Amino acid sequence: MSTTPGTPTHGEPGWSARPVRHLYVHVPFCASKCEYCAFYSEASEGELVNRYVRALITELGIVANELAPETVFFGGGTPTLLNCRQWEQVLDALHRLGLDRPAEWTVECNPATLSLDKARLLRERGVNRVSMGVQSLDEDLLDRLGRVHSRDMAFRSYDILRQAGFDNVNLDLMFAIPGQSLETWQRTLTEALAMQSEHLSSYEVIYEEDTPLYVQLKAGRFDVDEDLACEMYDLLVSTARDRGFQQYEVANFASGAVGADGLASRVCRHNVAYWRGRSFHAVGPSASGFVGGVRTRNRANTRLYCDTLEQGERAIDQRDELPPLARAAEIAGFGLRMNLGWPFADFVAATGFDLREEWGDDLRWLVDQGWGELLSDRFRLTDTGLRFADQVIERLLRPEQS
Amino acid sequence: MDRARIRNFSIIAHIDHGKTTLSDRLLHRTGTISDRDMQNQLLDSMDLERERGITIKAHPVTMYYTALDGERYELNLIDTPGHVDFAYEVSRSLSACEGALLIVDAAQGVEAQTVANVHLAMKQDLAIIPLINKIDLPHANVDLVRRQLEDILAIPGEDAIACSAKEGIGIEEILEAIVHRVPAPKETGANSLQALVVDSVYNTFKGVVNYIRVFTGELRAGMNARLYHSGRTVEIKEVGSFNPKPYTRDCLTAGETGYFTANIKSPSDVKMGDSLLDARNPAPPLSGFHEVHPMVFSGIYPIDASDYEHLKVNLAKLQLNDAAFQYQAESSVALGFGFRCGFLGLLHMEIVQERLRREYDMDIIATYPSVIYRVQLTDGEWHEIDNPVFLPEPTFIEQIEEPMVKAFIMCPNDNIGDMLALVSEKRGLLDHTETLDSTRVMMICRLPLNEILIDFHDRIKSITRGYGSMDYEHDGYEASDMVKLDMLVNTDSVDAFSSIVHRTKAEGRGRALAAKLKEVIPRQQFAVAIQAAIGGKIVARETVRAFRKDVTAKCYGGDITRKRKLLEKQKEGKKRMKSIGSVNIPQEAFIAVLKA
Ligand SMILES: Nc1nc2c(ncn2[C@@H]2O[C@H](COP(=O)(O)OP(=O)(O)O)[C@@H](O)[C@H]2O)c(=O)[nH]1
Ligand code: SF4
Repeated sequence: MSTTPGTPTHGEPGWSARPVRHLYVHVPFCASKCEYCAFYSEASEGELVNRYVRALITELGIVANELAPETVFFGGGTPTLLNCRQWEQVLDALHRLGLDRPAEWTVECNPATLSLDKARLLRERGVNRVSMGVQSLDEDLLDRLGRVHSRDMAFRSYDILRQAGFDNVNLDLMFAIPGQSLETWQRTLTEALAMQSEHLSSYEVIYEEDTPLYVQLKAGRFDVDEDLACEMYDLLVSTARDRGFQQYEVANFASGAVGADGLASRVCRHNVAYWRGRSFHAVGPSASGFVGGVRTRNRANTRLYCDTLEQGERAIDQRDELPPLARAAEIAGFGLRMNLGWPFADFVAATGFDLREEWGDDLRWLVDQGWGELLSDRFRLTDTGLRFADQVIERLLRPEQS
Repeated sequence: MDRARIRNFSIIAHIDHGKTTLSDRLLHRTGTISDRDMQNQLLDSMDLERERGITIKAHPVTMYYTALDGERYELNLIDTPGHVDFAYEVSRSLSACEGALLIVDAAQGVEAQTVANVHLAMKQDLAIIPLINKIDLPHANVDLVRRQLEDILAIPGEDAIACSAKEGIGIEEILEAIVHRVPAPKETGANSLQALVVDSVYNTFKGVVNYIRVFTGELRAGMNARLYHSGRTVEIKEVGSFNPKPYTRDCLTAGETGYFTANIKSPSDVKMGDSLLDARNPAPPLSGFHEVHPMVFSGIYPIDASDYEHLKVNLAKLQLNDAAFQYQAESSVALGFGFRCGFLGLLHMEIVQERLRREYDMDIIATYPSVIYRVQLTDGEWHEIDNPVFLPEPTFIEQIEEPMVKAFIMCPNDNIGDMLALVSEKRGLLDHTETLDSTRVMMICRLPLNEILIDFHDRIKSITRGYGSMDYEHDGYEASDMVKLDMLVNTDSVDAFSSIVHRTKAEGRGRALAAKLKEVIPRQQFAVAIQAAIGGKIVARETVRAFRKDVTAKCYGGDITRKRKLLEKQKEGKKRMKSIGSVNIPQEAFIAVLKA
């Protein structure tokens, strides 16, 4: 086949298809700032939140005609910080725009911010999945992380969710928190699993620059113990598997029967869309979208975001464009974070390239390293390979200028 | 101009004592440069030199001065490099003169470089005019400096002229002193042309432009001239002088300075210090010529092997204006193809490396510098070794001799103890101490050149909080118990990390190096063993632990761009590492080895 280098060799990439099937909504407010958090979020003061809600609705209106969402995800920040009246405005708008019937609709919440009324409202209006940022069930560690909620609030909020009728709940847990021992982690993990949520996301503390935790680390206030972190991860994976969860991504575990696509029924479809390189719109300050092969990012500052939308324009301030092969390489790499790996057919559908053609040498190298496994229909990383996923991605990346 | 009214002189000084300021002042006072040009320090041209306060190269400048006796004199200022790394270049410039202005800062007093430079000037029998500069400073102490001149340099203190280059005080007196104390050029007694080639620069249109001082006879365009030591005969195309810009002249006569061009394509065709003679009727050559020999060697390698040709071209360009810099192709197991480069000294080495990085924008790795060892084999034969890789096995070696230097170290009294400790740490011996004044001494020591290559100067500065200074001259060879220290990375010896060190220091250095490498070699997917070995015996060992994981914990739609960019950068970074066996070694490791 002789084509110009960098043009897809196997048909149109999935990212040029319309309509866009996934929608992310960012709510940039938090009750207070957590020690480890590098997300864009700010304290919620009444008027700004109202202004934000109006701007958000404007932005939704702009993208709505390109959208037919299968999944919607409200993340933050802390979406549940919006009060019931503000939520109603957003929900009404989604309804008006025909965006409120996705198969999966997730809202992130923080334990301290959820009343039964609010939970019921969300459930009634179509939200069918909640992701709760528990992080830890140890009071000392919750303090360490600067979280506003207590251990009890986590249990109480969970009960509220169940009472409101949510039957698809995710719990977020963190490990390798400074000061955390293997025993404390085991206790939190056991207690959290006993809550019997349908989904578990669990990840090691990340030290992002410009966070208080990072500053403390650099100041030598504590050390990172890599061996301990590895033990904690092993414990997580084995405990979750023992409880019948399917690990389907580096940090994600789901319950339910495994379907024809190889995924447990309760996986987060929205996140799967990210790792499969599908297009998604993203609205709200600092939200990053991926439409037509281009990654964009909205202005991060809420006031500036509102200013722009009040002029009737989207507030995109960063565009990350790549030649098709480089984009496909990125998608190849990040997709391998899923335990399933990349079914060759799915990869062609997503990118228009064949994994075995363009990355044949790399796949062989990964197999030789014991990091990869070449099956008849797909390529996946081994357990060891998953632990070095960043190096795998780095290897698969292709230069931007092709 | 009539020989009797020509004066050729240089200015010698320790860094910052005011050489540049005084040069400009003289040029200005004689009307050679205008007020406006006075803004810029004219003589130093390259930034790097300016930054380091040294002049490697500057052309002679001709000034005209009408003295108090009513006569008009031609004064030729022949600049000298400010650093004794360039001792031979300094001597060469000095041998083109009959006199030298010796500047001493009135507040600082005599410094190490002052002493080293005066020694060179005295060897040339020059008339020395001492100047005590910066007398405008409140803490200037002219009397003290007069005493120092007498005590340390045996120069009559009352001969010194107190001046301020900055304020223009004493300039007249200096010009008069040049006229009256510097002898007019003398005939050598030869019956045809004798001229000294002092330096050269490369000009794209004219080829090599040679700076010369005519001693006897005259030089004209169209003449056939013989470069005695270079063994070439050339046809002179152009002769001229500088005022300070170059201008052509019909001829240069005995006593004068200037330049000539002769369609010479490569600077290596003309040996610096050569004698230019009349080809038809050659006089005997001028005395004092010797070949320039590099004293310090280091390998220079492109980080990216594909830059090899590019590096070669740039080295050639550098050499066009730096005849003392030598290089030849070599290859290293660890670093691939590169060049063995010879330098006059440490500073020269640093300047060349820095120019490659900055002016030529090259990513290079420079190996640990080596001096030239004289090695006698068991069969009695002597070899010169400037690269540890070529040091024979110990069983074949009868003895090794290493080059020594005589160092002049100035330091405050308070630091004598620490300084003595430093000298002995560096395997040096104190020869004697001279008192400079009530607060400072000069220590004259003998040290191995190899010990002062790396951090000696910095250490002196830090011990004395900047008040100390050091300069040195070469001082023969001495038998010494040297061994080769190898560094092994996963059992592969990395030639670029090898060094020749004294036996008493080998183990310590081995340990320090291993520890340093452990810090800078990034973790890989397997453990990396770093070992130091002396003659096959392991003396130190460190391990860079294997990575246990390398994965971003959390990665969703909004994280991808940033993460990808980070990984792209990392991937680029790896390309710039050298892989040795299967271990990736970053550039910092090679630099760290230099500093350890
Ligand atoms: N106060 C004072 N400063 C001077 C005098 N001559 C030079 N300087 C200053 O000393 C510093 C070094 O002078 P420079 O001519 O560059 O020294 P070089 O390194 O010997 O060429 C500069 O900051 C000059 O301005 C002087 O007569 N008086
Ligand atoms: S609640 Fe979430 S978004 Fe807000 S500061 Fe904490 S971690 Fe960051």
